[in-house]
Amino acid sequence: MPTQLKTTDVVIVGMGAAGGVAALPLAEAGLEVVGLEAGTWLDRRDFAPDEIRNNYRDWPMLVNKCEDERPTSRATSAQTANRVGSHPMMNAVGGTSIHYWAQSWRLNPWDFKVVSETTGRYGRGRIPAGSTVEDWPFGYDELEPYYDLVERAVGVSGQAGNIRGQLDARGNKFEGPRDREFPMPPLRWTAFNERMADSARSLGWHPFPGPAAVNSENYDGRRGCVYHGFCNKGGCPVDAKNATHLTTIPKALDTGNLRVVTRAHVTKIEVDGEGRATGVNYVVGNNEYFQPARVVLIGCYTYENVRLLLLSKSRVYPDGFSNNHGQVGRHYLSHHQGAGVSALFPYDLDAWYGLPAQGVAVDDWADDNFDHSDLNFIGGGNLWAMSDRRPISAAGMSTYGRGRNWGSGWKRFIAENADRSHGFYIQKSTLPYEDNYLDLDPTDTDRLGMPVIRITGQFKENELRIAKFIQDRAEEWYLEAGAIEVSRGGLGNSMGASTHAYGGTRMGDNRETNVVDSWGFSHEAPNLGVLGASVMGTSGARNPTLTSQALSWRTAQHLVDAWRDIAE
Amino acid sequence: MAEKPREEKGISRRDMLKTAGAAGAAALIPVPLDASTTVGALEKTSTELLAAAPAGPLMNLTAHETEILSAMVDRLIPSDEMGPGALDAGALRYIDRALSEAESDAAEAYRNGLTALDRYSEYSRGKPFTELGDKEQDSVLIDLQTGSATGAGVGFVGSSGAFFNMVKSHTWQGVFGDPQYGGNVNFTGWDLINYPGVRMRVSREEQRRLEEDQLEPVRRSAYDFEQFQAGEED
Amino acid sequence: MSQLTQIPVRVAGIGILATCIVTAEIDAQSPTTFIVESPTMTTGEMMPRDYSPDGRNMSPPLRWRGLPEGTRQIAVICQDHGAGNPPPWVHWIIYNISGTADGLPTGLPFDSSEPMPRGLEGAVHGNNGWGLPMYRGPAPPGNSLHHYDFAVFALDEELNLPPGLDREELLEAIDGHVIGRGDMVPIYRRQRADSVSTVN
Repeated sequence: MPTQLKTTDVVIVGMGAAGGVAALPLAEAGLEVVGLEAGTWLDRRDFAPDEIRNNYRDWPMLVNKCEDERPTSRATSAQTANRVGSHPMMNAVGGTSIHYWAQSWRLNPWDFKVVSETTGRYGRGRIPAGSTVEDWPFGYDELEPYYDLVERAVGVSGQAGNIRGQLDARGNKFEGPRDREFPMPPLRWTAFNERMADSARSLGWHPFPGPAAVNSENYDGRRGCVYHGFCNKGGCPVDAKNATHLTTIPKALDTGNLRVVTRAHVTKIEVDGEGRATGVNYVVGNNEYFQPARVVLIGCYTYENVRLLLLSKSRVYPDGFSNNHGQVGRHYLSHHQGAGVSALFPYDLDAWYGLPAQGVAVDDWADDNFDHSDLNFIGGGNLWAMSDRRPISAAGMSTYGRGRNWGSGWKRFIAENADRSHGFYIQKSTLPYEDNYLDLDPTDTDRLGMPVIRITGQFKENELRIAKFIQDRAEEWYLEAGAIEVSRGGLGNSMGASTHAYGGTRMGDNRETNVVDSWGFSHEAPNLGVLGASVMGTSGARNPTLTSQALSWRTAQHLVDAWRDIAE
Repeated sequence: MAEKPREEKGISRRDMLKTAGAAGAAALIPVPLDASTTVGALEKTSTELLAAAPAGPLMNLTAHETEILSAMVDRLIPSDEMGPGALDAGALRYIDRALSEAESDAAEAYRNGLTALDRYSEYSRGKPFTELGDKEQDSVLIDLQTGSATGAGVGFVGSSGAFFNMVKSHTWQGVFGDPQYGGNVNFTGWDLINYPGVRMRVSREEQRRLEEDQLEPVRRSAYDFEQFQAGEED
Repeated sequence: MSQLTQIPVRVAGIGILATCIVTAEIDAQSPTTFIVESPTMTTGEMMPRDYSPDGRNMSPPLRWRGLPEGTRQIAVICQDHGAGNPPPWVHWIIYNISGTADGLPTGLPFDSSEPMPRGLEGAVHGNNGWGLPMYRGPAPPGNSLHHYDFAVFALDEELNLPPGLDREELLEAIDGHVIGRGDMVPIYRRQRADSVSTVN
């Protein structure tokens, strides 16, 4: 029998990127908030610049709950799903925002209105067959103030391209209009970044520095980035990477209204006879607790948000919490991050002291920023040329057809070329489809015996065509910058488990096709809110984190404004 | 061409303590001292004083398995005119500690793979692996890497390429990873690839000097920084 | 420009007609056919173990004769039309072979730092299917029997191509220069250690 705790106003499940942001406006408004986190507190002493530990031994990821609940994955429902090799996320106060790449982008306006924009410009028939894509229930302008709030509260560095309609050629000419500049200037560029920017300009493109949730200078009482080179899947030893445990969570704790419980593994959302959430069950070690709450917010990342709902069955919700319309798990998508392009240069790139958030972006080929009239796909990709290199992976580089990747001859090769290879990071807009979805695996379970998530999905024709098109652009760019070899990965179509996973609890006005309403609260259980990319219906050609944080803030603010309607 | 006998480098424990750096005395593999431990050995260059191929077996493998692994690792990154190789860099010590710590699941894969490698060598090249010449050993390892050795029916579990990749991956970690883990001895791995070193701050000026080939490398482990040191130094 | 050509092959001594399918990568300008053979291999017969990973995996010896007049350089590809996605799977590419050479000896060096034998100075390897500039012999899956087409091209010019070309790149480079071609097609099936006895 779980120990019943004192009722709280709000319980937030997960103190990661999304949950960690929602806590702030709620606590500042005087609401009592309990934040339940399966992981623990980590600090700068835990983040030595150690490639073996960070990149080969998955510190600090594999030590926690997320390793145990790795999803299974299959391409189509005709196949059996297999357990994926590793779960891309981590559990801690701050969650994956502790060691992620910290690229911190706003979506473009098009991403909110893919259906109406495509229909208007090219005709309805250009929406790919089998896609279940819908317009978001609001546009970019509605979210802009929350992007601004999060950029300031978390600390995002960058260069504006459009301030209230005034274009600035140093920034992204395609971005949605911002109310004001970034709170900090962008991270610096290396000489190679400058060279790539020059080459992009020679091609008639519009390169700009990418936005980063990393201090470029002293901000909020913490120093700027030191460019030590171990940021990729590594926590920051100087607290310059703006994870929520350094930014929004401490401020929320300062109000006295937030209490964080660590090592708390939430197992179920409890419900009353009318379908309203009454709180959550969780375990700490061998002890079980029930945390009653007037409102429940879940922010466990896409896979675990869906899983927690599906596992929370009851008489009122026989197919999972607020799943009486069968939409939980549907409209799932993940970024097509494969189909890479890499190159060998005849000169050193001096990339040892970089980070994945430092680099040159080109958005000319993203979304609908270019004319698709004569093309056979919609959407596009963002090209990102970053500066990032560490010794072990540098020594493991491809030999670009120049022989064996070991031995004496190889030693000569690596002595010359260890700092001469580069790979683009290409994010391509992806759509939801009828047959890509999440559900519970029929056989695989976690340590507590609860089924893990099963991913059923593959990239479709539209996404593969984007991939081919953007590989051509990437190659063009490399050759312009002087590469002597360019190598392309296969187009690939398997989805697998991703750090950029969206949907499963989609947001929209239509309750037949969406799980949450335009504020992020369940259509069926009005006091259950969902935080994170699982509410997003499209991906855009950029990372989900800043958008999921802006949505999270907006959901929390709405809860404050409409407290009586939602909580009582 | 016959085998390459590894002379027992008589190195005193005091010298191994000097070169082991942040790894600490506990990481050392016991080296039986014999008649070749002379004052002359102490006069060798620091490169030669490296805790190289251990004279005894690793803790996680038999002496015979260690010999085979040693020969394989020696071909992956040989010691040559370009500088020290994987054995000099302490790759075996790295692997042994990894098998004791983070990679204990891999011990079975090592035992299976090394036995299969030796069987394959005997079957296809007519001699145990350690008795083949350099070029023949390379030829055998290429066949492991491509997966061609799998179909020879010598006992590889799964593809021979998987075993090859595991050893190569661990060897690379041992040569190019932080010396805290027992490898990259005297930073020879970082020297080979001209890695400028672990710094807790890289200013604009330093980045500029790097771009002009004027930045002096720093040679320290991440764990030389006080921030990451647990407890007291011994 | 590629055509499928069926070349009937007689397996000596047994009288079975085996059909070998070969893609003709040659010009429309009827180049001549010449003889390619080997002291240790015969078309349609099992090649010796030592040219495969069941043995020492050395490059096999080849001999050719009856080259057309005007041959200045020679290129050799060993390919398996029954493997690869798409086929063929390439086992060996070697070119810049002097037009005066009458063949290749056994066991050519695979390290580019080692010199080629006398008479073959300047010969270089291209990248086989594994991306390696060397000969790597047959490794057909399971118990299957595959055919290995050693294709020799006589060229009318000393093209002196750079090392490391793959099959597509080589064929493109010699396009228009092929005045003669010869093939020999031995076969191979794996000879497993554990089918003979348990190996200690």
